[in-house]
Amino acid sequence: MSNSYRTIILARMGEIALKGLNRGKFERQLIDNLRWRLKEYGAFSIVQSQSRIWIEPKDVNPDILEDKETANNVLRAVTQVFGLVSASLVWKFDGDMEAIKEHAVMLTNEILAEHDYKTFKVESKRGDKRFPLASPEICCDVGEAILIAHPELTVDVHEPDFTIFVEVRENRFVYSEKLEGHRGLPVGTAGKGMLLLSGGIDSPVAGYMMASRGMQLEAIYFHSYPYTSERALEKVKDLARIVSQYSGTILLHVCNFTDIQLDLYKNSPQDMLTITMRRIMFEIAEELANKQGCKCLITGESLGQVASQTIEAIQITNEVVKTMPVFRPLIGLDKEETCNISRRIGAFETSILPYEDCCTVFVAKHPKTHPQKKHIVEAEEKLDIPALVKKGVEGIETYKIERVSNN
Amino acid sequence: MSIYLDNSATTKPLPEVARLVYETLSGEESYGNPGSLHRLGVLAEKDLNASSEKIAKLLSCKKEELYFTSCGSESVNTSILGYVHQNPRAGKKIISTRTEHKASLESLEKLAKEGYEICYIPVDESGKPDLDALSEAIDDNTALLTFTHVNNETGAILPLAEIIEIRNKKNRNTKIHLDCVQSLGKLPIALSRMGIDMASFSGHKIHALKGFGLLYIKTGVRVAPLILGGGQQRGMRSGTQSAYLASAFALALEKATENIEENLSTMQALRDGFAAELTALGTQVLSPSDALPYVLNVSFPSFQSETMLHCLEEKDIFVSTVSACSSKTKKVSYVLTEMGIRREIAANAVRFSFSRFNTKEELDRTVEAIKEIYERYKV
Repeated sequence: MSNSYRTIILARMGEIALKGLNRGKFERQLIDNLRWRLKEYGAFSIVQSQSRIWIEPKDVNPDILEDKETANNVLRAVTQVFGLVSASLVWKFDGDMEAIKEHAVMLTNEILAEHDYKTFKVESKRGDKRFPLASPEICCDVGEAILIAHPELTVDVHEPDFTIFVEVRENRFVYSEKLEGHRGLPVGTAGKGMLLLSGGIDSPVAGYMMASRGMQLEAIYFHSYPYTSERALEKVKDLARIVSQYSGTILLHVCNFTDIQLDLYKNSPQDMLTITMRRIMFEIAEELANKQGCKCLITGESLGQVASQTIEAIQITNEVVKTMPVFRPLIGLDKEETCNISRRIGAFETSILPYEDCCTVFVAKHPKTHPQKKHIVEAEEKLDIPALVKKGVEGIETYKIERVSNN
Repeated sequence: MSIYLDNSATTKPLPEVARLVYETLSGEESYGNPGSLHRLGVLAEKDLNASSEKIAKLLSCKKEELYFTSCGSESVNTSILGYVHQNPRAGKKIISTRTEHKASLESLEKLAKEGYEICYIPVDESGKPDLDALSEAIDDNTALLTFTHVNNETGAILPLAEIIEIRNKKNRNTKIHLDCVQSLGKLPIALSRMGIDMASFSGHKIHALKGFGLLYIKTGVRVAPLILGGGQQRGMRSGTQSAYLASAFALALEKATENIEENLSTMQALRDGFAAELTALGTQVLSPSDALPYVLNVSFPSFQSETMLHCLEEKDIFVSTVSACSSKTKKVSYVLTEMGIRREIAANAVRFSFSRFNTKEELDRTVEAIKEIYERYKV
């Protein structure tokens, strides 16, 4: 038996609605991104109306959202597109007040089959002013119908366990739950950045945060095989794939860092090793960023978290980057907050796999926490930095990382 | 050609085994459930019986004393948990060492939580349990001793005869379970003459297949099953038996046993030569000198275990390490530290484990590779 309604998705825009003259550009990007994100599930018509976006299966695949699991996957995918505050699965149908009541009761039945709810309220919007009842009257009638069907429920207009929303436009709509979106601005509206991606918890979160401001991402990973394992590289690819669910396709550049690291180890003092290493990483990343048209570097640094993230250490690594800003979206975050974001975006379990920074040989036992200019001059005395940077840039292998299909 | 020196982790199935499995699986009537009443069932059952008989003969026991399981760990779990649970009046004490495989240690931990007293006797620098401590520990309340015949990380061989003697002197009712996963096919094993009550084996360590384990329970020893169901294998291990895994095992065991003594002395010579070359390069041999020659554990100065593993991997040489290095948690082999080896040394330990198919040429190439690695990567 086919349904008397069609399931569609209603998404709500956030910050974009506050934009002025260039609002159209943001909206178009958002719709493009949604279309790209939903491609794997089927063909959808995506229509914007004021601050809302209606996503409806096209006639070639009218029933794809009638399967609950698929519908939830698509809904989750929608909320992962930056620029939306929330999205709901909505039943669309035609008819009079009787039809509305009937569908509201059906929806309530479904909700109660899954939840042990006691109280509810009805909210309604009447866009079609030709409809004979006004919004408060619609609420009353629908509420009454639900109470007749479920006498165990009571109405609570202040803190209901669930709310039934009714909208009367060209068609009729009922829905209940809203899934929160990841907010932000549509990726593609803020240029492109080069993320320094390690296998840890922080850098994927940093990438996610910049993407949430509309930035497209490329990433660079410094690989020290055989001092780190192939699994470490696989893990970084997995992390990039997780971030790409939100940011779109990521070009992952893998820099073979082994020889550079050996050179540093042999030719610069132990306690400055991390700093000299990070300076070279920044230089390689900057050169690559320029080549790729990226306008900034992005790192997962957080002030004071480790020896290389004291203000002195950050200052001394930062100074090698001459042509673009280095963004550190986690700089003021506590580790716990970063972990929470990492969990929310689904990266945490992968981040804590043990293959990162495998080798402790290159980690100084007592790194300088407050390095000064003179220390770095001394440390780099015996190094041919431009040659090392050149070597690093030349030895890059690039992978195109795309999100995994949810199907 | 790659060089595989990780045979204690798993082995490459024999070509004969692969052929046999292919033929069995692609045969018209050779896929039956041995429990079925029709002809296909009878054929499968016959096949299973033939394998049991062959294995029993090769291991000098009765075929009624053998059970097919899914892996070595299952056999170990069943022996330890099953014996203790089935015989509550045998005592509340179990004796072992801390250098056992995790399949034993985790079973013992479980029993400890159930209120059993687990007595871990120390091992000396050659990996052997302290026999005086053992003698002192065995009392009237001791239900079970469980030991590893050959240690998987060092190759240390258990002084089994002495242990049996002590057991016989102190408490004849105390049963012994022996984990033979690493010794099978490398040391002669004659179950009925060893004085043990239970033993565990695995298929894929002897060039048979993953997914097959063997459990020996001496007649008269009562063990509670771990897996319940259709009552197969006299109720001891339910679940449909796999005739082709069993015949693969029987075949591989037969091949391993054929020249077992000769293989052992050939391997001893290879191992000694290899160890001498490595020592000359400044590495420290951690395996005891009287260990099974199929396992050689060494520590490379200034190379953390995993780094050396990847350096060798880059040259298509495959080895193993227990110590996984990570900047955050440094995991070091408990087997080595229990033997009194310092953490820094254990952190650089690499295990080479051989099969009878490894050649002198392969070991020579490995030595060359290590020299090159030192040249290129030593920091």
